[in-house]
Amino acid sequence: MFKLAPNHQNDIVRTSKVSFTFDGKSLLAHEGESLAAALIRAKLLHLSDAPADGAPRGVFCCMGLCQECVVQVGGKTIESCRLPVSQDLQVISLRR
Amino acid sequence: MGCASALQMAEGSMKSIVLDQGDLGQGASGVNAGTLSLQIKRVKLMPYAIRGHQEWESMGDAVGFRKTGGYTLAFTDHEAELLHERMSLKAEAGAPIEFVSNSVLTKAEPHLADRVVAASYCAEDGYANSSLTGQFYRARLKQQGVQHREGFKVLGIEACNDGYVIRSASTTVRARKLLLSTGAWLKSLAALMDVDLPLQARINTVSVTQRLPMLTRSVIGHATGLLTMKQKANGTLLIGGGWQGRGTPEQGRGQVDARSLRSNLALARHVLPAIENAQILRSWTGFEANVPDFYPLAGKLPGYEDVFILGCVRGGYTIGPYIGKLMGDYILERKTELPLFDPGRNFVEVLA
Amino acid sequence: MITDTDIAVIGAGPAGCNAALIAAEYDFSVVMLDEQASPGGQVWREKSPAILHAPETPESVAGESIRNAISQSNVSHLSGVRVWHIERSIDAFIIHYESAGVSISLNCRCLIIATGAREYVQPIPGWTLPGVVGMAGATSIFKQDLIPMGSKMVVSGTGPLAFFVAAEQQRLGGKVAAVLTSNTFLDWMKALPAMILRPGLLFRGLRWITALYVNRIPIYWGHTVTRVEGECSVSRVEFKKIGKDWSPQGEPSFIDCDCVSLGGGLISAFESFQLAGISLEHRRDLGGWIPKAEQDGRTNVGGCFVCGDGAGIRGSLAAQTHGKLAGLSAVVFLGAEINHPIDELRREHTRAASFGEAMSKLSIPRPGLSKLTTAQTVVCRCEGITRAEIEDEINLGAQSMTSVKSGVRAGMGPCGGKFCQTAITEFIAKAKSCPVSEIVPPTARPPLRPVSVNTLAGDFDYSDLPISKPSPL
Repeated sequence: MFKLAPNHQNDIVRTSKVSFTFDGKSLLAHEGESLAAALIRAKLLHLSDAPADGAPRGVFCCMGLCQECVVQVGGKTIESCRLPVSQDLQVISLRR
Repeated sequence: MGCASALQMAEGSMKSIVLDQGDLGQGASGVNAGTLSLQIKRVKLMPYAIRGHQEWESMGDAVGFRKTGGYTLAFTDHEAELLHERMSLKAEAGAPIEFVSNSVLTKAEPHLADRVVAASYCAEDGYANSSLTGQFYRARLKQQGVQHREGFKVLGIEACNDGYVIRSASTTVRARKLLLSTGAWLKSLAALMDVDLPLQARINTVSVTQRLPMLTRSVIGHATGLLTMKQKANGTLLIGGGWQGRGTPEQGRGQVDARSLRSNLALARHVLPAIENAQILRSWTGFEANVPDFYPLAGKLPGYEDVFILGCVRGGYTIGPYIGKLMGDYILERKTELPLFDPGRNFVEVLA
Repeated sequence: MITDTDIAVIGAGPAGCNAALIAAEYDFSVVMLDEQASPGGQVWREKSPAILHAPETPESVAGESIRNAISQSNVSHLSGVRVWHIERSIDAFIIHYESAGVSISLNCRCLIIATGAREYVQPIPGWTLPGVVGMAGATSIFKQDLIPMGSKMVVSGTGPLAFFVAAEQQRLGGKVAAVLTSNTFLDWMKALPAMILRPGLLFRGLRWITALYVNRIPIYWGHTVTRVEGECSVSRVEFKKIGKDWSPQGEPSFIDCDCVSLGGGLISAFESFQLAGISLEHRRDLGGWIPKAEQDGRTNVGGCFVCGDGAGIRGSLAAQTHGKLAGLSAVVFLGAEINHPIDELRREHTRAASFGEAMSKLSIPRPGLSKLTTAQTVVCRCEGITRAEIEDEINLGAQSMTSVKSGVRAGMGPCGGKFCQTAITEFIAKAKSCPVSEIVPPTARPPLRPVSVNTLAGDFDYSDLPISKPSPL
């Protein structure tokens, strides 16, 4: 049936959820989705603080360029838009 | 150097115009690591370096000057020998350099690798923010009423009845005297005046990290000279050491050589292990020119009475603001506080 | 591990994949490097592993097709790697890339750069707030993770992307509060001749717009968001009508929302070209600074070819053919005889490009756009430098991007100037009363993406330090 503005939200099948932590807070996400998506869904938008004025920053370009969604995992810095969530992933934000 | 000379000349009421093929202070100073260390200066140039430091100190906050003190480290017995030999001579030449024990070093710089065999320290060492060089001199030139043109690439120089005509692609400038202070581009510029300078250009690499928690407060050097590190107030770490990139001044900017860069960073990590996960944001090169004896060219261009040349200083970033003043005085026909270096000399390399 | 190859292709979007595929049909080794886990680039970005099943879209179908083609071909696809430097030696190129925390070098005789585009967002007050995303950025998340962004989104920008973002936000279960487009009906009418050549896309676009009307989502033609407000994240936007020159006019209106998607068109990701030594030229109608190149991808650097949106924003259809042309140019460079119909491909490319170019025209910046950036607006996001600080530096005599960068640090942060350089260039050009084409981009500096010290330093043995002659004492 031709739908002018389809809503496919319920037609999407995802992997089961896994738990991960973000600054110690336990969260759930579908295994393999990007950390950025998981945090957006959890409405955790404030990911870092601007160096100059400490203003809140978050996901912006969504393609690994702006560096404002970067987090630390195991001491290494990585963009959350490029990091797939896995079970027990421990993420530390760069918020002060 | 050109700007410092022009400012000195202005003080002596000699009018000058400063021409740069690019942006002021970007040819070399602006891409320098910014290290101000007496420990890496040549013995004979020490008096110039000490006064150079004083110049930078007087420029102060406007150039982000910081007197942090500096350590030079040796990690092997051979390096320790080298360190002792060379630093002793430099101390004799007037630099306040002393040798420090590992315990003193560790207290001052707790994050350095604990593999240091010997270390020297100079309280006068520090750094400036090299990126601010252009902005600083632009303001000073304006303040002193000295004209300047950026983006003026000299294509030709012709003698005329009262001096010289300097030609760019779109315009000309006339002057009675000339000061050539184009650093690595001196060879091609002097060639326009039929002078062949035995000038070579090294392609030094500098890298900068993201902002990091404070790991070091001093300027860190290496006995071999192959490493300089300093952490700025904003947390970024600048890593240098003269690792060579590729390219020539005639081709524009040099290229970063990946293998060279990697060795540079490996040495930095060896000295400051805490940077292992730090992100390198940018690497670039800058040209450093020298003549065969590695002493400055500062005086009259061979064969000319009213054309001067200043460059290839060896430690040009540090010494530049001072020797620029000397050059200004020389052109004003005043006695210079310290002797200059005749560009017409016999360039036989003297083995240390 | 591959250390040498005949042809290296950087970028696995429509252009890169097509270049790699066609070159692999001839007897050459082809390695294709890309940041993402699968081929597709931005336009055909693959779904994350979290998506087990989802309804098809034209992009997912095209993406699957190219992914299958690559996997069945002889192309060696290095996925999830980040190229950080490109060096040139006498008759070869060396590509340095990071793979799983290790830096690896690849030598190639021929290099095809298909690094695509990124988006341009005009800095406005509040654009740095969490919840503000680019339009192309929003589509990345949509394609990869299939989630709506925020519960109530305002879309504001130029070109067809604004409608695509709104449509996808709804399709994935989110709400759209309003669509603001800088373009007017008249702008779109001017693009009609080109759109008629692609009836499928025209129909799709009309469908998006109709759906918005049917769902009573307001479309504000000739309007733009002028300010984003919120404490820790977006809570509402201010918007205004804009004039023909895109200057904001009249009284502001407001819309509550928790997500704002902004976009002013695509621009080439030109840093790779610079590192490879390719000259750039400024083409306002193709996204700004692009490599100087022939239609077949040849550049001033022998053996180095360009294709796709990186070579000028002409859209994904043109990118596919462009990739084929560049792939064939590489093959010819290496001395092979080709049996593909070049002339036909050229004509195909020209036809395909006309649609993409018409779309790009909708995003050509107009003089009033710059007015959206107030004096206090942060322009360099990384370092928090405002327009006022930048213009002060320009008024003190800084005449180039390099000068501004050196004086106030704008462009020295982690993104390397990717999101501020375009706007700053316009400020300088305005101050100097000269065309933007005279304010050249600064020298490109590696790494192309931030790389860790460990990755670059690798396994270092102190005894490997060169014991060179000590410097003159």
